[in-house]
Amino acid sequence: MNTIALAGNPNSGKSSLFNQLTGLRQKVANFPGVTVEKKSGKMQLPAGEDVMLVDFPGAYSLYPNSEDERVVLNVLANPQDPDFPDAVVYVADLTNLEKHLLLLTQIKDLGLPCLLALNMADTAQQQGISVDEKRLASLLQMPVLTVSGRTGYHIAELKQAIADLLRPVQAGHENAATQLYQPGPTEAATLRRVQQALGIENPYRALLTAHHAERLPHLAADERSAVASICEAENFQSLRLQIAETMHRFAIFTPVLQAGVTKKAEENSLSDRLDAVFTHRIFAPLIFFATMFVVFQAVFAWASYPMDWIEMGFGWAAESLKQVLPAGLLTSLLTDGLLAGLGGIVVFVPQIAILFFLITLLEEVGYMSRAVFIFDKLMQQFGLNGRSVVALVSGGACAIPAIMSTRTIGNWKERLITILVTPLISCSARIPVYTVLIGFVVPPDRVLGLFNAQGLAFMGLYLLGIVAALGSAWVFKKILKSSDPSWLMMQLPPYRLPVWRNVWQTIWEKTSAFVLGAGKVILVASVVLWGLASFGPSAKMEAAKAAATSIAEQKNLTESDSADLVAAYKIEASFAGHLGKFIEPVIRPLGFDWKIGIALITSFAAREVFVATMATIYSIGSTDDEATIHSRLAEARNPQTGAKVYTTATAASLLIFYVFALQCMSTLAVVKRETGGWKWPIVQFLFMGLMAYLGSWVVYSLMS
Amino acid sequence: MSNSVTQLKEGISGRISHFTDDHVAGKLMTMGVMPGSRVRVVRVAPLNGGYYLKVDGMSIVVRSNEAHNIMTIQDKE
Repeated sequence: MNTIALAGNPNSGKSSLFNQLTGLRQKVANFPGVTVEKKSGKMQLPAGEDVMLVDFPGAYSLYPNSEDERVVLNVLANPQDPDFPDAVVYVADLTNLEKHLLLLTQIKDLGLPCLLALNMADTAQQQGISVDEKRLASLLQMPVLTVSGRTGYHIAELKQAIADLLRPVQAGHENAATQLYQPGPTEAATLRRVQQALGIENPYRALLTAHHAERLPHLAADERSAVASICEAENFQSLRLQIAETMHRFAIFTPVLQAGVTKKAEENSLSDRLDAVFTHRIFAPLIFFATMFVVFQAVFAWASYPMDWIEMGFGWAAESLKQVLPAGLLTSLLTDGLLAGLGGIVVFVPQIAILFFLITLLEEVGYMSRAVFIFDKLMQQFGLNGRSVVALVSGGACAIPAIMSTRTIGNWKERLITILVTPLISCSARIPVYTVLIGFVVPPDRVLGLFNAQGLAFMGLYLLGIVAALGSAWVFKKILKSSDPSWLMMQLPPYRLPVWRNVWQTIWEKTSAFVLGAGKVILVASVVLWGLASFGPSAKMEAAKAAATSIAEQKNLTESDSADLVAAYKIEASFAGHLGKFIEPVIRPLGFDWKIGIALITSFAAREVFVATMATIYSIGSTDDEATIHSRLAEARNPQTGAKVYTTATAASLLIFYVFALQCMSTLAVVKRETGGWKWPIVQFLFMGLMAYLGSWVVYSLMS
Repeated sequence: MSNSVTQLKEGISGRISHFTDDHVAGKLMTMGVMPGSRVRVVRVAPLNGGYYLKVDGMSIVVRSNEAHNIMTIQDKE
């Protein structure tokens, strides 16, 4: 199958076009060796043939300034790369065409068959921009077509043009490579020697190899040193020559555009008038915080209904199964293990979907990049980058996609700090834990007759997370050294109505990634936990059961009460009980007993497992109903002293622990992938763990 | 006589004459910010942060230490 690359600048509307061309038949993966997202999908050409369309990350040129741009270079500079395309569909924003063609001329010089898709034809028409496609095509020596990823205009024609573009490739014809860019004497001499030394045929590929040899992953060490010595011998000054090349290329196509595109004079557009408010010195931060407030309110308010239905559904299913199936180990595994685990995953889908819906919406309409601009200076004080705002806000949903979004930060130190502190932002997985525990600390009173006290406490926990994130970022800024220049240069897209197709696509992608990725871990953890709580050294289990039964007989307990007592004794004797007791001495100063110890261990699979664990330990069965768990925890007493286990101090200490601790295997796995080793995830785990332990200890000591 | 773009007030336009740093120039030029481009200061971020510029009709933001390297000739009033 032939591979077609979709390339273009950021903000060229590539993703909309990609969605139009592939529909729902797309796959999200990573480019090999890096975490830059690679979207690919099959597309059917008019003749019925399938081709693979790969959506390349947005890039301005083959002289990369970010991870995203580096991927484009790495693939296009290496014809052996599995993603190396047979042809390129280059997407350019017609309303800003003169800024969008640099990369196209570079790709063309690599000898790849190209097609220029002039996107946003609808907006261009409204702005009175007209283009002479034929003239442009003959000047650029490639097919040119106006399209719109938003409205679907000319999509069928685009597919036909791709088929036409591929025909000579499939027939084995070499693309007649006329070089647009004529290298200067130093470049020409250097590239000729690189061509000979490495056996590269295409002159521009040889020139790129001279510029980037040090960081191109497909080169062998001896090739790298060969190129380095050529460059030194020829006095090849990479940066100077890059600038000259860029100037030269602009000089080639700017007259072409003046001949082929007619533009109206710049006027005060709607975007400008909106920006007068949204980037206003005083209004902008107020609008940002108001927006975030609405977002989080919406996540809680809207999600609570579907969450209740899901909980009821799973509760009902478990009860029904218990009635139908014979009582025994298998039924218990099904209902208390598998079904409880599944419920624990599905119940988060509404919150995650709604949060991603709102964040995607803010990105789609163009607001997020304004927030980046507004907060860049503030973020710099903490060693972060304006772009970190996007990660920190997304961290409110889930740290995993948030950490993945940091790849647009060019400076390694700022990116690393963003990755390290993002998990301190309270993610949606902490919500159920907070919900269960907050009732122990704060009564459901009204404050000033207006605000719900528990709601305020909730907000306080979120604020604590934000303060902790910024504080530790500041500390890392002082500790870490970096020589990388820090910068922010970013295009602001015009405000526009969201393309709903893109919004749904993102929600679908992120939600299914959660269910399939994190969900698997949670499910396995639930079953393992069920096993740990159900089995133990058989002698001890039998003894526990006998002891509980005799106590129940002495006290003349009812049947259900004695069953609960047996269950409680059995879990203490189980493997889970042993594990919990093993760590009890360490967590005792924080006010935690061995039952909480079990929950802390299992929370490591995913924080929300805490609730499921508590449900199992207190033999509530397969429920995720926070009210039930809350009332059961409130009754829990220390069997020796008879004192309540969940005092205000213990609950507060536990809350603090959950705000700070990095109890999420999936986050650690992503951080390892993003930072390329175990060093940073370990550092992150330790510093967050230390903060959690000390924070909890202080709170518990003060309150008890 | 050219001045840094940071000397232009919000709403004032000019033309870029040159850049005083090659690294900044290299990055800006790939985005199409070239000597000869028309530039207008739309807004300076709070806390004297970044600059929101219109360059030939395209909206871009840069930090102030980057903006310092963009030399412009202000339009005659």
